[in-house]
Amino acid sequence: MSGRANRVKVLVGGVQLRDGVSTVTEILGRIFTRAGLFAVAMERGYASTIYGAHQYDPILVADQPPLSYGDPVYDVLVALEYDSNPDAPEQPNRDTVLRHGPNLRDGGILLYDSSTGEIPTESLRARGVKVFPVPARKIALTELKREIVKNIIMTGALFRLLGFDGDFTHLRQLLEERFGRKGRDVVELNLRAAQRGREAVERVLAEQGYTLEVRLEPRPRGRRAVYISGNDCLGIGAIQGGVRFYAGYPITPASGILEFMERWLPRYGGRVLQGQNERESIRAAIGASLAGVRAMVGSSGPGISLKVEEFGVIGATETPVIIVDAQRAGPSTGMPTRPEQGDLNLVTGGAHGDIPRIVLAPSTVEECYTLMLEACELADKYQCPVFFLTDLNLSEGRKTVPEDLFAQRPPIRRHGILREEEVRGRPYRRYEVTPSGISPRVLPGTPGVVFKSSGVEHDEFGFVTIDPRKRAAQMDKRMRKLETYLREDAKPPYVFGETRGNPVMVGWGNTRPVLQEAREILLRRGIPVALVHFTHIYPLPKHLVEPLFADAGPVVVVEQNYSGQFADLLQRELLIRTRRVLKYNGIPLYPTEVADAVQRALRQEGAVVRIGSPEPVKVEVGGDGAEGH
Amino acid sequence: MEPKAIKVWEENAVPKHRIQWCPGCGDFGVLAALKQALVELEITPHELVLVGGIGCSGNIRNYLNGNAFHGTHGGPLAYALGIKMANPHLQVICLAGDGDTFAIGVENFVHTCRRDPDMVLLVMNNGVYGLTKGQDSPTAGLGKSVEVWSEEHPPMVDPVLLALASEATFVAQSFSGDVKHTARMIVEAFQHPGFAFINDFSPCVTYNKFNTYEWFREHVEPVPPDHDPSDRDAAWRLVRDFARRGKIPLGVIYRNPRPRAEARRLPVWEGELADVDVEPILATFR
Ligand SMILES: Cc1ncc(C[n+]2csc(CCOP(=O)(O)OP(=O)(O)O)c2C)c(N)n1
Ligand code: SF4
Repeated sequence: MSGRANRVKVLVGGVQLRDGVSTVTEILGRIFTRAGLFAVAMERGYASTIYGAHQYDPILVADQPPLSYGDPVYDVLVALEYDSNPDAPEQPNRDTVLRHGPNLRDGGILLYDSSTGEIPTESLRARGVKVFPVPARKIALTELKREIVKNIIMTGALFRLLGFDGDFTHLRQLLEERFGRKGRDVVELNLRAAQRGREAVERVLAEQGYTLEVRLEPRPRGRRAVYISGNDCLGIGAIQGGVRFYAGYPITPASGILEFMERWLPRYGGRVLQGQNERESIRAAIGASLAGVRAMVGSSGPGISLKVEEFGVIGATETPVIIVDAQRAGPSTGMPTRPEQGDLNLVTGGAHGDIPRIVLAPSTVEECYTLMLEACELADKYQCPVFFLTDLNLSEGRKTVPEDLFAQRPPIRRHGILREEEVRGRPYRRYEVTPSGISPRVLPGTPGVVFKSSGVEHDEFGFVTIDPRKRAAQMDKRMRKLETYLREDAKPPYVFGETRGNPVMVGWGNTRPVLQEAREILLRRGIPVALVHFTHIYPLPKHLVEPLFADAGPVVVVEQNYSGQFADLLQRELLIRTRRVLKYNGIPLYPTEVADAVQRALRQEGAVVRIGSPEPVKVEVGGDGAEGH
Repeated sequence: MEPKAIKVWEENAVPKHRIQWCPGCGDFGVLAALKQALVELEITPHELVLVGGIGCSGNIRNYLNGNAFHGTHGGPLAYALGIKMANPHLQVICLAGDGDTFAIGVENFVHTCRRDPDMVLLVMNNGVYGLTKGQDSPTAGLGKSVEVWSEEHPPMVDPVLLALASEATFVAQSFSGDVKHTARMIVEAFQHPGFAFINDFSPCVTYNKFNTYEWFREHVEPVPPDHDPSDRDAAWRLVRDFARRGKIPLGVIYRNPRPRAEARRLPVWEGELADVDVEPILATFR
């Protein structure tokens, strides 16, 4: 298939909540991972309404780790809808097939549930698409008497199409782990369902005389791997990084962190608070941090906006807090289930007055873990807010990740906390003016010492002051932390290729894999572009970055927001001109369109190229949910 | 009270001559009562956390020994919740104004009552925003008869009824003109296992010219000795009966501790955070 064996991109689509789209991709992802393959399901297509909207989940699987989730071109389309709109005069299965059919590769495979009849597929067949109608729901209801197994029928059918797991070894094992406790019957029923799917495919193959070119071979893997989301990875990072207090208020796509923490943090001695609102959450985290616990909150744009007041408190009282912003499309409630990188200005600039702050943005699921470990240390060391910017795809997307990643764990260091013996018998200044800008703190309860901590401007002891000299000294002290950070902890961006004399593509956060792939496309087209990609966003490590751009060719910043928020930051900090490639229609960036857009941007000084393609999803009027969550 | 013991509470604090309250402010009475109560409770300053609100009242945190924190207007209860969840061994008291608690912070108030963390809230209720120079707070208009309410001037919030409706487990009322009684209420509040709320009437001599010390002296009355504070209905009745007579009850109006789960200090130190085995988590993703 697609000339490359052992690499297949499958899109599974269906009706949200009814058809169990994500259950299927979850099973696929896990089984592929167990079979030694690498699965990536980073684009989550769903809507804010709970029931009835179209949902799709592309999953890419290969025997080598794929760079990114790639372009929206699919080898296999799996339509789980048996009848997406019984009242409509159109055929069933229309959503997945109509929306994603155009992105099915010529000669690809369509597998659909034909329980309420076959659908017209002439145009697809004309493109060489092999069509497999499988009446999964009907088989489930009439033969197996359990509607719920219809997805396993489809999974069995898909495995046959991929030449994978021929004897259902992997499926059997997963089913036994999942349902073993419910009894052998359940496992056997599911295996029979998978077998029915396989047989249905055999029948079509025999009738149509199709041949299948693909075989997805399991490969033995030396190291164990997990199939995991960015939210879960950063949760593990937080636990390993010493976070023992987490507070959140439900919001997509940060809810997953709250759920993860509720499940796991108590087992490591921690506590989780579902705040009654965004403010209670972050305030409680500030309190817990004041008491000495590493504390974290998680939210998304609308919730982050509500927390802005407390950014100032954290900055002025110098209380460490990690703030995860799983970005979604704004403004206002925006598109809760669509990705964007639109909160950069909010987290770099939110708060009245000036506060020291650090902004980090992981670029992969793996980095959700490693960078979180760093965030925990930085918050502690610099006693300031540390923002951690993910986004919908990174937060909820899943990926095969080798388990030895989680063995990486630098020792935890409680920085700058004075113990009893270090403070006894001398006057304690909570906000002592120090060369590093960091004033050692004591925790409440430390015998023989008390502190006064306040968000009102204060002197070194924490008492209110409006003395201009003391004010200036405190302001300077607080902001000096950033110089210390830049000197001691800021990390340079990733650099791919030679920037000198070449055009440079710039990105930040979760887009790195896509930009790397776009760069390879451009190189193949003969454009010697370099890629500079940032994880340590703010304050920008100018001294490390400036040399990269000194003799560089034109700079094209690629990001997912309307204005080019990072491009603005770069221009301001480095005094360089940028060109911009921007996408903000709620669909993630794809490598080929980025390559095309960068190529266009390179033609003109100061160009702004907006990627506006509505592909791959044809959104119908009123077709997708409009409710917020 | 031994003057020496009181002195403990005057160390590490803003000296008396720099206290920035108007002479005669009711908050002085609260400060005096707090010192007496803390001495009686034998709390040591390092184990106490004073969480101040934003207002004249919240400044009390600096006039008294003990650890202090001060963040946003309306925020003290939620910071305190976090402190207490992190380290239940600490003694935590929130010292806030009525604007702080019942206007901008009312969400925190209602939910803190429900959550019932083991800490104290003392509201210095003066019916005005003192620090911003006398605007009406949600408790404005105590004792004044009004013909017509409007959107701009809605009926006042009764802190006691709000607390009862929010499932608070300890509700008391005091008057800072009676330092001894206020101190008594503070002691009982600290002794209550759970969230203890004291609505303290603390006159603003500068901006509230109606609810003066004299006015309060005429209108307060102790809770009758036969009142059963563990009876919720009786608490409602008490407040209603007093209101009907134009009187204000002082004392413990409601006290009914809830069963509490045992709480431990959360892990803080390197040693407590090392040796984390995430294998059980990873197992769920294989
Ligand atoms: C978010 C915010 N809004 C407004 C203010 C201004 N402000 C400071 S104190 C205060 C009210 C103080 O009244 P109260 O809480 O009753 O305390 P008092 O001064 O009467 O003791 C207000 C509105 C502020 N600091 N923060
Ligand atoms: S303004 Fe009122 S509340 Fe504030 S210090 Fe003066 S008397 Fe006290």
